[in-house]
Amino acid sequence: MTTDDVRLVAPAPTETTEPPPPQRRRIRVPVGWLMVAPNLVLIGLFLLVPLVWALIMSFQAKRSFGPGHWSGLENLGRLLGDGVFWRAMLNTGIFTLATVPLSVGIGLGLALLMNDALPGRGFFRTIVYLPIAVSTLVTSLVGLLLFDETVGIVNGVLRDLGLGTVRWQSEGGWAMVTVVVMTLWSRIGFGMLVYLAALQDVDKQVLEAAEVDGAGPFARVRHVVVPWLRPTTFFLVVINLIWSFQVFDIVYVMTNGGPGYSTTMLVTYAYDEGFGAARNFGYGATVGLVLFVLTLVVTAVQLAVNRRREV
Amino acid sequence: MSVDPFRPHSRPGAASASPPTLSPTRRTVLAGALGALATPTLTGCAGLTERVSANAGRRRDRLSVQVYGTDVEVAFYDRLARRFEQSRRGVTVDLVSVPFSEASVGIDAALASGTAPDVFRVDYPTMGVYASADQLLDVGDALSDLRTDISPAFLEAVSHGGRIYGMPQHIDTSGVVYRPDVLRDAGITSVPDRPQDAWSWEEFAQVAQRLTDKAPDGRSAFAVNWQALGAFRWLNWLFQAGGHLYDADQSAATLDTPAARRALDFTSSFFRRGWVPDSTSTKGATLPDAQFTSGTLAMVLAGNFLLPAFSETIGKRFGYAVTYLPQDHRAAGELGGNALVATRGAANPELAADFLAFLGAPAQMRDFCQASVLLPTRSSLLAQRLDFAVADDLMPVYAQQVRTIGERDVADVTTATFAEVNLALANELEQCFLGGRSTGATLSALADAVDQPAGLNDEGGRA
Repeated sequence: MTTDDVRLVAPAPTETTEPPPPQRRRIRVPVGWLMVAPNLVLIGLFLLVPLVWALIMSFQAKRSFGPGHWSGLENLGRLLGDGVFWRAMLNTGIFTLATVPLSVGIGLGLALLMNDALPGRGFFRTIVYLPIAVSTLVTSLVGLLLFDETVGIVNGVLRDLGLGTVRWQSEGGWAMVTVVVMTLWSRIGFGMLVYLAALQDVDKQVLEAAEVDGAGPFARVRHVVVPWLRPTTFFLVVINLIWSFQVFDIVYVMTNGGPGYSTTMLVTYAYDEGFGAARNFGYGATVGLVLFVLTLVVTAVQLAVNRRREV
Repeated sequence: MSVDPFRPHSRPGAASASPPTLSPTRRTVLAGALGALATPTLTGCAGLTERVSANAGRRRDRLSVQVYGTDVEVAFYDRLARRFEQSRRGVTVDLVSVPFSEASVGIDAALASGTAPDVFRVDYPTMGVYASADQLLDVGDALSDLRTDISPAFLEAVSHGGRIYGMPQHIDTSGVVYRPDVLRDAGITSVPDRPQDAWSWEEFAQVAQRLTDKAPDGRSAFAVNWQALGAFRWLNWLFQAGGHLYDADQSAATLDTPAARRALDFTSSFFRRGWVPDSTSTKGATLPDAQFTSGTLAMVLAGNFLLPAFSETIGKRFGYAVTYLPQDHRAAGELGGNALVATRGAANPELAADFLAFLGAPAQMRDFCQASVLLPTRSSLLAQRLDFAVADDLMPVYAQQVRTIGERDVADVTTATFAEVNLALANELEQCFLGGRSTGATLSALADAVDQPAGLNDEGGRA
């Protein structure tokens, strides 16, 4: 029984002959549980139940409607021999490797730039942060407007400059570049903002001491600021990893996974299988679960590495 | 139902045996909290599903209908719904409009949760999946009048296993929309104006090459409308070459044929020879009609349903006209368009079937098609000169092009697994068009997709 539980508080014994006061029942309401209950209900309803459901469906051959049947490990077997799945894995890996370091690195660079004496830094901060306040769908449409191979702005400018055009949509490598660029555009503002907040906690005295010891600006950043920001960096790396694994809307709108399967990611593939024309909920759920396990493992490894460093 | 957190044991209508106590107990507090929590949560859930739960009331005199389409189409559906209400005293039609891209996902979810609308609009290639999974109402009896006035090919589009599961409201197909000024500048002075004179593939290739040679930087000869869910339009070329996707009894792929190889060789040459922009492959994110209206294409293969958009977007910037699709072994065009279907779990199946019959009546079909610039499925209407709202001069070309759609062509694109085959067409063709994969390997991959059994549609997992 915990202290949050309801208790009856009996009146203290008295030696007087006066009649005892009427019994009052005092209730200690489980405030803590009431506080977290909404979140627990929502997490249970919209996270845990679908997760377990997806696990069950991964053992079924089933559409979203109509009859289905248990298929054992058939979906997993198909997955292991599915070239498109492995291509999606590779693409997700490449995309993650490209976006996570760049998001964090550029975010740090911009934060350092805008933390100090940059003129009009309030304006520039807003400019950099603005894309994060805009829906990624809008960002994707802007990307489409920029990188459309035929009527896009970038190719139009390149053509006017006499530099020729780039096959942004019909050449796999370039298509991946467009997706990475638009993702960075939508993300670096977040990294900058978090780093800006963290930079306020860097001890000025330590920086001054480093300066007195002869450390230049780059040495101070490298040996004082960056180590100081390690917890922030860890947070940003983990959150960017998860975002990169879950990339969907930018790819879906800008390239539709193409050309071929050059930009097909795990989530777009899971969506296409589960909700696209195939309507194969079972197989889509299997791809989704692989993504879940992958994210879990990478985050756990990051956590372990970070703990070891802290020790 | 409202929840009184301090009276957990009271029932509606039941007198309380003892006066209510004002002192809350642990149980009452918890019940109240859960009740308070559940009410907005469940209300929120209702809000989330309201769009597709149009039949939530389940009243027999109320019909829920989900459609998609252009503003003109949706507005006309609303007029037809009101017209139905006036002709059926006491009946209410709740019309919900959703974007086309969301329609299928919404219907799938609604069917899974038992909240599907009584009637919904669906395209022919997607309809097979619902019919084969036993989700639709057999409306054959209600459409007895329409059945006597329709081509067998169009009736085939809404049939499955010998039963009729929908009302084929309209059809559309593709034509070659071209810019006379650009063709004239390239020295192309005559364009076919009769179906029998349609360009042969060789003539079409010459036109494309001449336009490409004369095209300034950044412009192309033409583009084909086979992107995303339109991938099945590649079958036009297959049919024109004399091939088919399935064998005669729809049981296996027939893609290891000279006709299939000829069709794929010819269509992949569009990209190899630079006749079409690479970005207009089968998985292209931008649609070619947007490129045509922006002025970067001399020709585009486009459906008649795009004519109102062309009229609005192009305005008087440049002139355009329509000619027939090229022909090879034969002339062929795809079966585009939409049907209206009723769900098997409709609250009032008779009313739902009656609504379909009403919309399929000559007056309603004619009015809808004229306003929306679509082609009717009734033979009697197709034979008439309809008064289309826009592009009245261009529609006769399309009306003649639909006559090239054969019964077996329709059967090929309305199988139970065609939605999956359509996706495979988009994926596999792009491998050939842009990825450099050989014709043989691509056709083999397509044949594998076609031969996949419809296991997910059947209880026991057997096709």
